[in-house]
Amino acid sequence: MKMKIFFSSIILVAIMAACTHPAVPEDAKKESRLPHIYPDYTEVTIPCNICPLNFAVRENASEVVARFTFPGGEIAYGKGQNVLIDEEEWKLMLKAAKGKSMQVEVFTKEGERWKAYKPFNIYVAKDSIDSYISYRVIQPSYVAYEKLSINQRNLTNFDEKEIYNNMSVSTEKTGQCINCHSYQNFKTDNMLFHMRQGYGGTMLVVNGELHKIDLKTEQTLSAGVYPAWHPTKRLIAFSTNSTGQSFHTKDLNKIEVQDTESDLILYDIDKNEVSIISELEDELEVFPTWSPDGKKLYFCSAHFEYKNDSIAHETEMIQRYKEVKYDLYCADFNPDTKEFSNVEMIYNAADSLGQSVTLPRISPDGKYLLFAQAEYGCFHVWHADADIYMMDLKTREVQRLDAVNSPRSESYPTWSSNGRWIMVDSRRDDGNYTRPLLAYFDRQGKAHKAFAVPQKDPNFYTFFLRSYNRPEFMVEPVGITPQEFAKKAKEEAVKAKYAQR
Amino acid sequence: MRFSLKYAYLSAFIVLAYLLLPTMNADYLYTIQDNDVFISGHTFMMDTVQNEGGWLAWIARFLTQFFYHPWLGSTILILFWVAIYWITIRMFSIKDKWCFVALAIPVFLLYDLLSYGYWIYYAQAPGFPFVPTFLALFALLYTWGIIYLTRNLHISWTLKGLIAITPLAIILYISHLLWPTSWNLNYHSKNGILTTLTDKNFRHELRMYRALDEFRYDDVLKEMPANNETPPTNLMVLYKNIALLHTGRLTDLFKTNNCGINPFVTDSTLSSRIRITQLGAPLIYYQFGQFNFAYRRAMENSVTYGQSFRNLKIMALCSVFNQEFDLAAKYLQMLKTSLFHRDWAIEHERWMYNSTLFMQSRDFQAIAPMIDDDANTLDNDEGRCEQYLLDHYSALRHASSPQLEETIMCLSLWRKDAFAFCIHFYDYVQHHPQESIPPLYQEGAILHGNTDLSPIDFSRFKFDTFVADRYNRFVQDYNQLTQQGLSNEEMGRRLQPTYGDTYWWYYYFYTDFIIY
Repeated sequence: MKMKIFFSSIILVAIMAACTHPAVPEDAKKESRLPHIYPDYTEVTIPCNICPLNFAVRENASEVVARFTFPGGEIAYGKGQNVLIDEEEWKLMLKAAKGKSMQVEVFTKEGERWKAYKPFNIYVAKDSIDSYISYRVIQPSYVAYEKLSINQRNLTNFDEKEIYNNMSVSTEKTGQCINCHSYQNFKTDNMLFHMRQGYGGTMLVVNGELHKIDLKTEQTLSAGVYPAWHPTKRLIAFSTNSTGQSFHTKDLNKIEVQDTESDLILYDIDKNEVSIISELEDELEVFPTWSPDGKKLYFCSAHFEYKNDSIAHETEMIQRYKEVKYDLYCADFNPDTKEFSNVEMIYNAADSLGQSVTLPRISPDGKYLLFAQAEYGCFHVWHADADIYMMDLKTREVQRLDAVNSPRSESYPTWSSNGRWIMVDSRRDDGNYTRPLLAYFDRQGKAHKAFAVPQKDPNFYTFFLRSYNRPEFMVEPVGITPQEFAKKAKEEAVKAKYAQR
Repeated sequence: MRFSLKYAYLSAFIVLAYLLLPTMNADYLYTIQDNDVFISGHTFMMDTVQNEGGWLAWIARFLTQFFYHPWLGSTILILFWVAIYWITIRMFSIKDKWCFVALAIPVFLLYDLLSYGYWIYYAQAPGFPFVPTFLALFALLYTWGIIYLTRNLHISWTLKGLIAITPLAIILYISHLLWPTSWNLNYHSKNGILTTLTDKNFRHELRMYRALDEFRYDDVLKEMPANNETPPTNLMVLYKNIALLHTGRLTDLFKTNNCGINPFVTDSTLSSRIRITQLGAPLIYYQFGQFNFAYRRAMENSVTYGQSFRNLKIMALCSVFNQEFDLAAKYLQMLKTSLFHRDWAIEHERWMYNSTLFMQSRDFQAIAPMIDDDANTLDNDEGRCEQYLLDHYSALRHASSPQLEETIMCLSLWRKDAFAFCIHFYDYVQHHPQESIPPLYQEGAILHGNTDLSPIDFSRFKFDTFVADRYNRFVQDYNQLTQQGLSNEEMGRRLQPTYGDTYWWYYYFYTDFIIY
């Protein structure tokens, strides 16, 4: 181990000699506070394989210098008001600090004087993170959409590529919406996403082979919407939804997305068959997710009785939108017979707390369940009060994960494949644009401070006018090219059959 | 020195271009840049260049922003056209007297730019004033290069053509491999070359928008036609009424031509698209203090037709009024990187740190009284801004300011909503017991007050004598013309000189109110 550090230090010194680094000011005036940096990487715990945490210093400064001190060395960076870290040096820094921490001291030049801010630490976990994440890139629009893409990002560097771009098949008259990308067990040889309107259908990749399926049947409410791959069988649970939008005249949540009806279905890939899991009257079932052993299906459901026959359901839903609150349910599943049984409410959020639960996700070890919770409704990405909560599935105790939450919306929680990292969508920057955040989840079940997925340009998020939707971890990149998806998209979808359960 | 015709042709073209561009169409050019955007920095550049022809668009967008000063932008564009003229002459070795032929491309480009009309709101073609010019310039330079390189080769023109096409084909093929979407061109310019894409009101609308945006309400009113020979569009009527509202004269709405028409363009693709929602809804909602709807429409228009300075500004303003300061800072930060909207952004950024400055601003002074204290509701304008405003204010029960009170009274008349107006009139009379009632309100009450449409009986209400007398004369004249068997249209024409400024005339004879 010592030899490793020794050689790493030698390589580091060699690289440093080859690169230009700013001098650290010696006579800086000490400040007792932390510097304002963006993104906020102060006191965060990061994976040992993540790309450099470039940041901008948002102080009234003409120049900045940041000194990184780690076991075996120190390096300073600074370019204008930004701290841009060399990727090769960063890897060596991570290697040296793995399981320990590095200290960052920020210096700013204001006028002719330098200031030295209170140092902060960046803790480097021994645990790595899945190399890839994917997300939908979309403007935070209301009804209109134009260019949408599902992108994959390599977290170990700054590479980002499109998995699919709707403009490859959209024309001026036939726009196409894409959504709900999903993977089986974090691998991409079994994955899916939906396309709606132009060339509509579900793009389904099974064992690396691409299919286009139409999941809408006469007996079901809609095509599949929110998906959940069964971890071991070739089955996918979906919600089916009748969704509408309306707009707040004053509330800063701005948009309400509501389901006037929703059910759950099961899609059998081998038989190309859809069957209904649950379509209870007065229940709005949605957001299915499987336990890691595939023996339980968790989902959310709101009890909502329409009371006024003289108006459309959609109108009544709009009038009573704050009454729509989802609870958390669990059903047993027999993978061999594909039968569901023993439906149980495991978290009564609506009646007991006056809250609404959405987007449940279970940790890979099956111990914890993450979900988003807010006062009402099912579309928490637009609800400023939405926070991430965690249930201990053994004790069923629920706690709010304050380390990952902010006063603004947090939603779409998900786990990395090793269960050590959480990713959420957050609107903490400005309330309107969602950004993917990562947080360490230690072996004691404690979540650590969340931080934004790093970008090469630290000001990228400030100038980027699109949101990141539904971030998902992947252990490998998607192998199918955008051209192949586009070609398949133009083909006719194979209709799924309905099977009576 | 020998007189050269090529200079004469060029001079004539330059004079013509300056006449047609910054002299006669300054507001058109200003609107073009206002409908586009250029943000300095890596993020915007990458976002632009990743689309088809992205680099071209990025450079074109950079230059388009110079139309903020129409003379400056025009000069840059004309310089490119001069270059095209010179290259054409040199390339084809055109003799002096035939040099006017070399103006064919610049003249077409000039015509093309001026003929966009309403398409400027719908063309998904960032930097479109410069893109065709760049393409023409590239094509000329490329052809010139091929001619130069093959000048000593004794081969046929067909073979020279093949030599010219081959590198282009290779570039296109490689781009297809590298950028998967590049075969599906999503650069939508305008339709048609010779169809009419504008009407007489178009430029009035552009000037009214800018005046409204700059709170020059009197200038908004000046743009309304003085007579009825050219009926205004509904959008102009909306702009006009907003100006009246903010100058305390909304009760004059029927005295200032409230009979709007749809824009008239012969291009059917365009005419079916033209909506107030895209033409001016964000600013209109903002002026009414409807910040969420203004923000929404600015966002939706940005998503569908591309980001623009005007949308960024509206989103920033709405965010400031909504006290979403981080969001406002984001948009202002972007605007601060621009060449010509930087000062605007810096000025408005101060509002967030100095509430006194904000409250003293013309925006706050004009718009704050329009903010109603009704509870939040879920609603939708269904893409019909004008209808939404008429419905919303007619239905509003409580006015928290004199401006809002005037709005709900006048908009319920504008909507011809007798039921809503009578309720508002009753409230008005209760709240202003000692004050004289504006004649317009009396016109509404005297017409609707004694009918089944009214929930309240106004038969014992004492109207001003001149209003009552005029109404009686109107009824008399109306009945007389009816007995003559005239059509409603003809009756309207005959009664307009005498009663065209009244609500009664509007109520009976303006029947073509089509929301678009």
